[in-house]
Parts: sequence; C-alpha cells; structure tokens
Amino acid sequence: MEETLAVRKLDRLGVVLVTAGVVATALLPFIYVKANRIAAGKPMLLTQLLNQPSAIILTILLIVTALAVLFLHNALLRLVIATLCFAALLATIGLAAAVFTPPNSNAARMTPGGGFWLLFAVIGLIISDALVKIRLTPWMRIAALAAYTGLLGIFLTSGLLDNLSIMKEFATRSAQFWTEALAHLLLAFGSLATAIVIGLPLGILCFWVPKLRAAVLQGLSLIQTIPSLALFGILMLPLGYLATHVPAAASIGIRGIGAAPALIALILYSLLPIVANTVVGLQGVDPSVRDAAAGMGLTRRQILTGIDLPLAFPVILTGIRIVLVQAIGLVTVAALIGGGGFGIFIFQGLGQTAMDLVLLGAVPTVFFAFSSAVILDAVIDSIRGSAA
Amino acid sequence: MLKKFALAVSLSAFAAGAADAADVVVSSKIDTEGTLLGNVIVLALNANGIKTQDRVALGTTPVLRKAITAGEIDIYPEYTGNAGFFFNKADDPAWKNLQQGYDLAKKLDYDANKIVWLTPSPANNTWALAVRNDVAGPNNLKTMSDFGKWVASGGAAKLVASAEFINSAGALPAFQTTYGFTLKPDQEIVLSGGDTAATIKAAADQTNGANTAMVYGTDGAIQAAELTVLEDDKNVQQVYAPTAIIREEVLKANPKIEEVLAPIFKSLSADELRKLNGKIQVDGEPAKSVAEGYLKEKGFLK
Repeated sequence: MEETLAVRKLDRLGVVLVTAGVVATALLPFIYVKANRIAAGKPMLLTQLLNQPSAIILTILLIVTALAVLFLHNALLRLVIATLCFAALLATIGLAAAVFTPPNSNAARMTPGGGFWLLFAVIGLIISDALVKIRLTPWMRIAALAAYTGLLGIFLTSGLLDNLSIMKEFATRSAQFWTEALAHLLLAFGSLATAIVIGLPLGILCFWVPKLRAAVLQGLSLIQTIPSLALFGILMLPLGYLATHVPAAASIGIRGIGAAPALIALILYSLLPIVANTVVGLQGVDPSVRDAAAGMGLTRRQILTGIDLPLAFPVILTGIRIVLVQAIGLVTVAALIGGGGFGIFIFQGLGQTAMDLVLLGAVPTVFFAFSSAVILDAVIDSIRGSAA
Repeated sequence: MLKKFALAVSLSAFAAGAADAADVVVSSKIDTEGTLLGNVIVLALNANGIKTQDRVALGTTPVLRKAITAGEIDIYPEYTGNAGFFFNKADDPAWKNLQQGYDLAKKLDYDANKIVWLTPSPANNTWALAVRNDVAGPNNLKTMSDFGKWVASGGAAKLVASAEFINSAGALPAFQTTYGFTLKPDQEIVLSGGDTAATIKAAADQTNGANTAMVYGTDGAIQAAELTVLEDDKNVQQVYAPTAIIREEVLKANPKIEEVLAPIFKSLSADELRKLNGKIQVDGEPAKSVAEGYLKEKGFLK
C-alpha cells in the first residue's frame, strides 16, 4: 500500500516535470539570435535546430529522461540519465550559439531563451529529486553539490559556452567580475560574522531576561520592515557626518557611501533571524536537562556553554543559514551606493537594457545563495543526526 | 576565533573603501555615458603623470554629490543642467543656454562647496525627440521646427515617451507651444518609466506604430535603432553639458588636470558621444577600451 502511494506520488511529480519539459521544447524558444546587444533577436525553437547533431542527441536524451522519470524506479539510474541529459543540454546551447554567430562579428549575441531555462530547471529538479530518493548523508550531499559545480566548471572553462551572450559579457569584463565577486562575498560573510558576534550574546541575554525579549524582538522586526534601499539612504547621513567630523572613524574606512553603510544595514537586517532563532533554540532545550546540570553543581555559564548552546545549535545554525542567503541577495542592492558586488552588473545592465549583463550579475548571486543553503542545510542535518 | 575572524573581515571590508591620500580619486555615475567619461578622465590623467584611484561607476547622482562634497572622491563628470536641481534654481532661464548655464553652475558650486567646474563638452545630453530615419529622410526633418511644421500639416507622427515627459510643463507641452504643433492622444504612447532604452526600442521595432521616441541627446542606441535626433533650435530644453567637476584643493595640488582635460572635453561633441555610447551599449565593448580607442584616435594618448 505504502509502495503504491509512493509510486503514485512520484508519477505525479514526474508527469508535471515531463509536461513542463514538453511545453518548453515545443512552444518556447531555445535560443535568440541577436544582431547586437540590444536588438530584438530571432527566436529559434529546439525543433528548428534539429539539423545539428548535438540537438538530435539532446532530443533523444530528453525522451529517455522523460521515460525514466515516468517508469523507472531506480533512483540512481534516473540520476545518471538526467545528468547525461544535463550535460547534453549545456553542450547543445553552446554549440548552437557557436553555429549561429556570424564569423567576424563581435557585436552579435546569442541568448538562451525561455525553453532552455525551463529545461534547465526541469532537469535540475529531476536530478535533485533523484538525489533525495537515494537518501545521501549530509556530507555526500555537499559532495554531490561539488561534483555538479565541477561539471558546470568544466563546461565553462572548456570554451564550449563562450559564444553565449552571458559569456561574451563576462569576457569583456572578467577582471572586474572577480573583483566584484570578492567584494560581494566579503560583504555577505562580513555582515554575517558581525551579526553573529552581536546577535548571539543578545539572544542569550533575551533568553535570560524575558522582559527584554519582547522589546528587542519587536525593535528588530521594525528594522526588518524598512526597505533595504531606504535603510542604505538613511545610514548615509550619520555615517557621512561621522566621517567628516571624527578623524578616527574616517581612517578606519567609515564613509557615507560604499561598504560602510551597506555593511551596517546588512548587519541590522541579519540580527532578527539570529536573535529570534537563538531564543527559540535555547527555549527548546529540555528544562529537565538544565535542572539535572544545576543539580550537579554547574554554574549558569557552564550550563550555557556545555548544555544549552550545543543543544540549541541546530536551530541557531538555521537562523545563520537564513541570514546568509538573505545577505547574498541584499548585497546586490548595495551597488547603488557604491558598495560593489554583483549588483553593479545588474544595474548597469538595466541602464543599458542589456539583459545579458543583468544575468551576469544575477546568475552568480543565485548560485552562491543556492550553494550556501545546500551546504548549511547539510551541516545542520549532520549535527542533528549526530546529536540524535 | 569567530570574533577575530569577524573583526578581520569587517576591517578589511572597511579598508577596501579607504583612499590613498596622494592619488586623485576619479569617480563617475553608474550609467553608460558616466562610465565612459570616467574612464576617459582616468586614462588621460594617468597618461600625463597624475596618479589616480579608479572608482568609476560608483552609483547614482545623489550618491556622487554626497561623495564629492564629503571629500571621498575628487573628480567626476557632471551635467551643467543638474546644478539647477542641486541648488534649487531649476526655473532659472540661464540653464537654456550652454554658456550661461555653465557659468551659473560654476559660480554656485564654487561658492557653496569649493568645487571647480572644468571645461565643458559642447554636447547636450538633454531630452529630445528622435524620429525614424525612414520618416525623417523623405520629410526632411532635421530640427524641431521642421517636426512642428510637419505634424501641424498632418504628418503621421506617433510618439512613445514617459508619462513625465508628456505631462511635465517643461517637456512636451513646452515643445508643442514653441514649435507650434499638438499631438492628439492617439498619437502618443505613454510608458510609465523614463527609460529611454525602452522608448528607442519601441520606435526601432515600430511597436504599436511608434515612429518617434523620447531620447536623451547622446544615447548610444540611437544610431543602431536608425533614428535621427531633432535639433532643439529654439532652445526649449535646459542644456545638460557633460563637465568634469573637481574639488578645489585637488586641482590646486594638480593644476595640470585642467589643461589635460580641456581639449578632450572640447572634442567630445554630441555625435562623438553617441558613437562611443553606441559602442558600449550596442556592441558591448567595455567602457575602458572604448575610451582608450577614442583617446588614441584623437591623439590624446600615444
């Protein structure tokens, strides 16, 4: 009975994914052939590319994957087939872009269309569904993420995808890309680290002093409601004043614009999840365990470090995961006030109506956020697993 | 351990913004023309022995003004017409004339902030109308006066513009009064945002029959979209001439900056700026190499 239910549930997901894949291939353009960066572009369906060997292989693999998803129960086999299909998808878009680029044109741009992105998402979901069914341990999940990142890296460095518009945008500004990547990561992790340093003790204090709890959590929730760009703007004034009138502040780099207001705003936004999760995590510790420890003669501080924090750690780590994903996304807005990061590409692309440049900023941001979520989730599960 | 890591990371993030006192901090706005002019300044100063720190494409106009008045950046390209908004004198008729507007901006900013406005470019990056070449050619439309006469005598113009442009007293209504034409509501396609890239695209693709677009005078996409900018021959719009503005103390420390940048900015006409912006926006070339190519072509760089 249970098995039939499980089979039916899978089939439903499989049917949805296969339908989406069929719609993507039949109705949505696979690639846009543009004369230059801002031209409209000629849409081409995958079915129109079938004179190319890579497109034929991709179509065959798509059919095989669809059959595997609907009828094959062995998750490992499904994983292998879907991974092959994924590789074929990347190879096809790269080769199609190369074929349609006029020989000496620097201006022509080949942009992946909705069909490609939908197929990318569908195959990605099939792969992650298969990985879940295989029931990997948390460290194996991180290894799987590393393996697929490696596969993507091989495609990117092999030059197969170099004719895609997003890679052309990367080629004209690769040095700046890595500088902004570093700035983005520094801002995200820097704000996370500082928020932990401030938020963890604050959360512990709120747990010990119930009267403080309501006030602090409400205050932090209020800060969360302020739109990010508004908060950056609000911080520019006091920081600018500080920078001009307090020489010590200016010498360590506090300015009205740039990294300083961005960092401070990010820290403020990060405090609520950390404080709230710390309080909830500490509240979740069984009081009888604490009683037993007190009975054994441990001081309040020893109970905190030896019992409360280790047991509350998974919940606190969940708060940290929320903060990291949020911070990686918010840093993109910091580009408007000179903070750097991938947001620069997004806003320059918007100003030039070059969607490929916007993607150059957006895709790495999404990738970092997704990877952080996967890694931290795996760490949380492994701690929970070993604690259990 | 976590504390030390946090301190180290936040300090390094702060330090990334700290500027070296001796170098001239060159900045610019984050838009296409700003990035181009910022790179032109960096390359020109470097080639003449003045050390610079590159903070081009920093952010939007308010961010740049805050930065220069606070002394965090030293020089960036601004527009003469914008000074009207910085100093709350937007209605002054001086802004309609390049020289008068420049003189007024120079005086206001020096008196208030000790910021010096260097030699302006003759280009005017202000609101304008651009018609499709296949409409401008046969009807011999070169100036707004030609356009006004053509529309008044029944010319089939269809304008795509932002709501602000169509309603703002200083924009379309002013054009219509001065050049003697009126566009009927079915001759106007109103977009909510002021993004000229969208209006240019609409005129280029003839979306909903559009053949006239609201543009900024030096937009890069104009040539690729095969549009002709109509000259504002009766000076209805305020003049926005790109000018490098610099803090007085930095100029006093490096007086060569004015003589290095003056001929370069004088050579940047509207046609040149359109061409260069087009290379960046349409062809996707990086701003730095476009700037370098221009400077080498005109002989400012070896």
